[in-house]
Amino acid sequence: MSTPTAHIASIGTALPGDPVDNASLAKVLGVNEEWIEVFIGTKTRHFARDLGTGEVRWSLADLCAQAAQKALAAPGVDPADIEFIVLGTATPDTLMPATVNQVADQLGLDQVPTFQLQSGCAGAIQALSVGQTMIASGQYRTGLVIGGDVCSKHLDVQRDLSGAAPSDLVNFVLFGDGAGAAVLTAEPAGQRVALRHVLNRFTGLGRKPGQVIEWFGLADRHDDRQALTEDYKAIEERVPVMAVEILWELLGELDWEADDLDFLLPPQLSGRMTRRITEELDVPTAEEISCVADTGNNGNALPFLQIEKLLDRMADGHKALAVAVESSKWIKAGFALEKI
Amino acid sequence: MEPIAIVGIDCRFPGAPDTGAYWDLLMRSGDGVGKVPEQRWDADEFHSADGAEGHSNTVEGGFIGDADAFDNEFFTISPREAAAMDPQQRLLLQCAWRAIEDAGLSPQRLGGTDTGVFVGIMGNEWAQLHLTDYAKVTAQIGSGNGYCMTANRVSYHLNLKGPSLAVDTACSSSLVAVHLAANSLLAGECDTALAGGVNVAVTPALSIFYTQAGLSAPDGRCKPFGAEANGIGRGEGVGVVVLRRLSDALKDGQRVYAVIRGIAVNQDGRSNGLTAPNRWAQQDVLAAAYKRAGVDPAEVVFTEAHGTGTTLGDMMEVKALGHHHADRPGKPLALGSVKGNIGHTEGAAGIAGLIKVALALHHRVVPASRYATKENPALQLKQHGLRLLKAPLRLPSSPVLAGLSSFGMGGTNAHAVLESAPPAAARPAPHDKETAGGIGCGVYTVTAPGAAALRRNLAAQADAVAARRVSAQALAWTSNQVKTGHRYRFAVPAHDTADLAARLREAADDPDLLARLTAAPAGKPRTAFLFTGQGSQYGGMTAGLYRDSALYRRFLDEADDALLPHTGRSVRDLILAGDDDVHQTRWTQPALFAVEYALARTLTELGIRPDLLLGHSVGEYAAAVLAGALTLDGAARLITARGALMQQLPEGGGMLSVRAPLAEVAPLVDGEPLVGVAAVNGPEATVLSGDLGVLERIETELVSRGLTTRRLTVSHAFHSPLMRPMLEEFALVAREVGGGVPDIPVYSTVRGRVLDGEAMDAVYWIEHIGATVRFQDAADALLDTGPTHLVEIGPQPVLSGMVRRLGRRDRAGAPAHVLPVRGLDSGGRDVAEALAELYRGGAEPRWEAVYPAEERVPQPLVPYVFSDEHRYWAARRPTAAGPADSAPAAVPAPAAAPAQAEPAAAPAGVAVLERPAAPADPLSDTVQEVIAAVGGYETGDVFAHQRLYEDLGFDSVMIMELKTRLDERVTGLAHITVQDLLPRLKTVADLTGFLHESGATVTARTAPTAQEGRTA
Repeated sequence: MSTPTAHIASIGTALPGDPVDNASLAKVLGVNEEWIEVFIGTKTRHFARDLGTGEVRWSLADLCAQAAQKALAAPGVDPADIEFIVLGTATPDTLMPATVNQVADQLGLDQVPTFQLQSGCAGAIQALSVGQTMIASGQYRTGLVIGGDVCSKHLDVQRDLSGAAPSDLVNFVLFGDGAGAAVLTAEPAGQRVALRHVLNRFTGLGRKPGQVIEWFGLADRHDDRQALTEDYKAIEERVPVMAVEILWELLGELDWEADDLDFLLPPQLSGRMTRRITEELDVPTAEEISCVADTGNNGNALPFLQIEKLLDRMADGHKALAVAVESSKWIKAGFALEKI
Repeated sequence: MEPIAIVGIDCRFPGAPDTGAYWDLLMRSGDGVGKVPEQRWDADEFHSADGAEGHSNTVEGGFIGDADAFDNEFFTISPREAAAMDPQQRLLLQCAWRAIEDAGLSPQRLGGTDTGVFVGIMGNEWAQLHLTDYAKVTAQIGSGNGYCMTANRVSYHLNLKGPSLAVDTACSSSLVAVHLAANSLLAGECDTALAGGVNVAVTPALSIFYTQAGLSAPDGRCKPFGAEANGIGRGEGVGVVVLRRLSDALKDGQRVYAVIRGIAVNQDGRSNGLTAPNRWAQQDVLAAAYKRAGVDPAEVVFTEAHGTGTTLGDMMEVKALGHHHADRPGKPLALGSVKGNIGHTEGAAGIAGLIKVALALHHRVVPASRYATKENPALQLKQHGLRLLKAPLRLPSSPVLAGLSSFGMGGTNAHAVLESAPPAAARPAPHDKETAGGIGCGVYTVTAPGAAALRRNLAAQADAVAARRVSAQALAWTSNQVKTGHRYRFAVPAHDTADLAARLREAADDPDLLARLTAAPAGKPRTAFLFTGQGSQYGGMTAGLYRDSALYRRFLDEADDALLPHTGRSVRDLILAGDDDVHQTRWTQPALFAVEYALARTLTELGIRPDLLLGHSVGEYAAAVLAGALTLDGAARLITARGALMQQLPEGGGMLSVRAPLAEVAPLVDGEPLVGVAAVNGPEATVLSGDLGVLERIETELVSRGLTTRRLTVSHAFHSPLMRPMLEEFALVAREVGGGVPDIPVYSTVRGRVLDGEAMDAVYWIEHIGATVRFQDAADALLDTGPTHLVEIGPQPVLSGMVRRLGRRDRAGAPAHVLPVRGLDSGGRDVAEALAELYRGGAEPRWEAVYPAEERVPQPLVPYVFSDEHRYWAARRPTAAGPADSAPAAVPAPAAAPAQAEPAAAPAGVAVLERPAAPADPLSDTVQEVIAAVGGYETGDVFAHQRLYEDLGFDSVMIMELKTRLDERVTGLAHITVQDLLPRLKTVADLTGFLHESGATVTARTAPTAQEGRTA
């Protein structure tokens, strides 16, 4: 008996509020609008926090539940079938309870196993990996896989950025908030997209983190450590190389040729970096599916936003391959989809 | 063939200064290629995009950093000689040293063995620069050039006596060197072999050649099997591996990176052209290697290709591999080439590939091949059963086979089949688990030829140790094996890894601390064991050591076993339980004996053998056993009887300590039949013993004279006339036990001097009971012989204080006091501290006794970090004008003229050699100037104490020159020959002294400047 294949039956996403364009962001932060366009290449993003007042309007749980609700409302999916929930995020609302359980609560789900994976850009794919493994085990037939992040927790609108260095500025203009969810099934249902392979591999032995997000407790809440630091130089150097390796490893694993691919979902760092990486990946026959220029880098929501966009275009027999790199501790991630 | 194990690796390649960096470069698909460094040649001057005559089509290549840096002082090579040496010789020498250390071996201990040295090399550009200017050819230039010297120098400086040869088969040189090394091992010619390769581009000649031959990539980069492959990019590198027969490596518990299962070499013969690659010959060499390894080609998982990235070369190689792999079942053969990362390292190409494959098998992942994503479709890799590695390939935990090709331009091809190390050898485990041992704490040792070198290396060790999660004892054990042999010895106890890292870091940062933890012993230490007497005992003494140290447990148990038939109660249990009975003399005496015997035996087992012995009163019993004068059983019986008989004497006796010389106290005792002088411990320390009433009377008198007295808490009046009633019964036992003449000099506290052929027999031990303990006399006699270390054997330091209060001023300096047990809290750490002190002092501990078997596992340590302070390069760069304008003899690069010898850079406090300011002596000044000139030193860097051969790197050629120059500068040497000079050339001062004796005087003329001395 062969192991069951996981399928994506439906997808749902949630972006908080209206898109914030560069002009508005530039005005609030006091930075140069053109700089954002040229060096970041991101046009709009969404924030869960009011940009004017700094007031929190949506929690991560809110966004994840909204996305999940959309996925569960899709044709061919029954919320009552959900047997597990996996959430990948780097920015949980609280350390306890885990946000996944608040999401379950909002969705009215009970008596199911829940998992929350603490991870950055690879978290959504790690969640897919866990979901795939659970379905492959034969014990579960339907589950919910979610990814989301609320990066605006670190968007301090009170801060004067007029004299800030580019490396500091980037953190304010790169990110956005959002969530996405997919219903995984053991049998083809709904969208009938088979999850052919998932890659999730730590490759950071002996390497300094490319990205660090601190968290603060009562003892160190007044510590003046920067909450979010990135080694942009290392990211620019490493991520394209890793992305190429991921692409070829997935192809090799599936025994697919590069020109078999109809779609390519490249890593979504920023409009500019994603363009560069896509060039390096060099699969001209595949259509690129990207969203970061419109959504900002909203972490674990990105793969779901890409899949949502992909599903609009995918026809039977189409193949797609997604690549993601988590530069925190250099995690390679990716997955392959085929519509059947 | 019998497998050959790769047990040690060191290398430097473009963008990768060491093995770790090389692996990192490979794993991140890094690019080590860049512009030709200014120092080599002016790349733009030689550049022509369309490859005009005499020009290269590229300005880039893979160059290693710091190719000019060389730690000549480490190898005691004079700056002048270093400057004349081909940098390939220098790099290889340092690389070989580090590779041996990486193999868990001490390079100095490998000296004298039949170890072979096999070096692949094809670049001879230094010689082309330096041997063409005939007027400037010196002796140093001669030995500084030539292929053979690269290998021979390693053999010379490391004193390796096996085969030593250089191999030139062009680009396959270093894999052919590995082939010869493997065969030499298999033939039993040597038991260890260093195999390696080196390539440094000093001139653009080969870049021009590749361009003119249509083989040079315009971007200076090899793109192996790539669609954009357009030729060779030159690369530099140096790599050395240490090879053993696998059976030997396993027997010796060495860590094995990977194993060579088969290796073969052949030739194209008369093929399509001398330099054209030949697929048939390549196919055959693959077949020969597979056959020799006894493997089916389909079992090979990946192959490191020659992969130069030339259209024809790539095509031939794919076809040759395809012959063996096109029809293989399962996955295609994974293919890659390191040339994409570092360029074609020519003479070092084979070793670059070998090290990559060995590391891949070691780390169980094969790095992706750079430029693989755009593979050349014309090669039809898939049809040939091949796939280019576009992403790293994880290897299974089961045994994996790999191939490695290296092909020479003249048609000499080599292929090797490697296999992952046998599981047990990849991470060696101890083989002998049965004997428990060790002291429960390691001693981390680092040695270096100078204080600055020591600091540099301690800092490197600190960083590396901090990054490890392995037992500090295993790290310490490896340090004892590897980091040995240099004059400056650093040692600290190693209890846990974090603490060890912190101590190394502190020592590297704090010159005063470093000075305290370092010594440069002149010779072997002269060690005295001092055994304490009664009064030093306490409940629970040495319990910590008993807990920590299996070795100490063994000997305390042994003593307990010997005592038990006589005591009827376990003295060990009494001690460890902290029982107050230990203060009753019947228990005190056997208990102290047991502790001292066990401690002394622990130390001797650790390799600390006493040269001198002294025991204070009952301390002499354990000393006598150690000296072989009493057997353990005899001493156990005797000491038990002694204690028991004394215990039976009526109480009422006492002891009085007086702070006064014997002469002042003695008259009060004379004529007192019930009181005697029990001990003379020092010039102001006299102890009386006897009847309490009489003592009280004497004490009153002493106090009235203003003397300080103190009553000792004792049950009996030891060493007094009150002991007489027990003598007869004790004598019966003593006569049965007997006793002999000590094998080790014993400074007797009965006689107050060394025993001179006198037996420690019944007569002695009977006399011992009532005799005055003449510690002062005995200790003075012992100290007169100049011991370097006084090791106190007892449960707490007592005698070291007494020795200090003797008030001696020994000219040779006070001996060090070594205290293996300091008190109630002492354990293995204090013994380790004592051992560290003794090691610094020149002792050679038996390290295998220091650690239990499970800790005696080799752990990789950072190899020696060489100084990059001194730099040497060709004085003039090659120019397009051609070789007619060749460079003069090399001189040290002005940016870093040879600085002072390292000891001079030492901070105050570190054992710096003495340099007193001498009164003006023209002859001495002249000698120093001449020596500086011959060696290429600054005059100010030559000192009277320096040894010509060991410190200044003089050789016979230099001695000849020294004599010639002395003749020019000194009058009155006409009758003296070099032969006369030779015996007097130990140090600079010796030479000066000899010249003085010979009546030589400085010839009247102005002294040459340092600059003249240098360039002459």
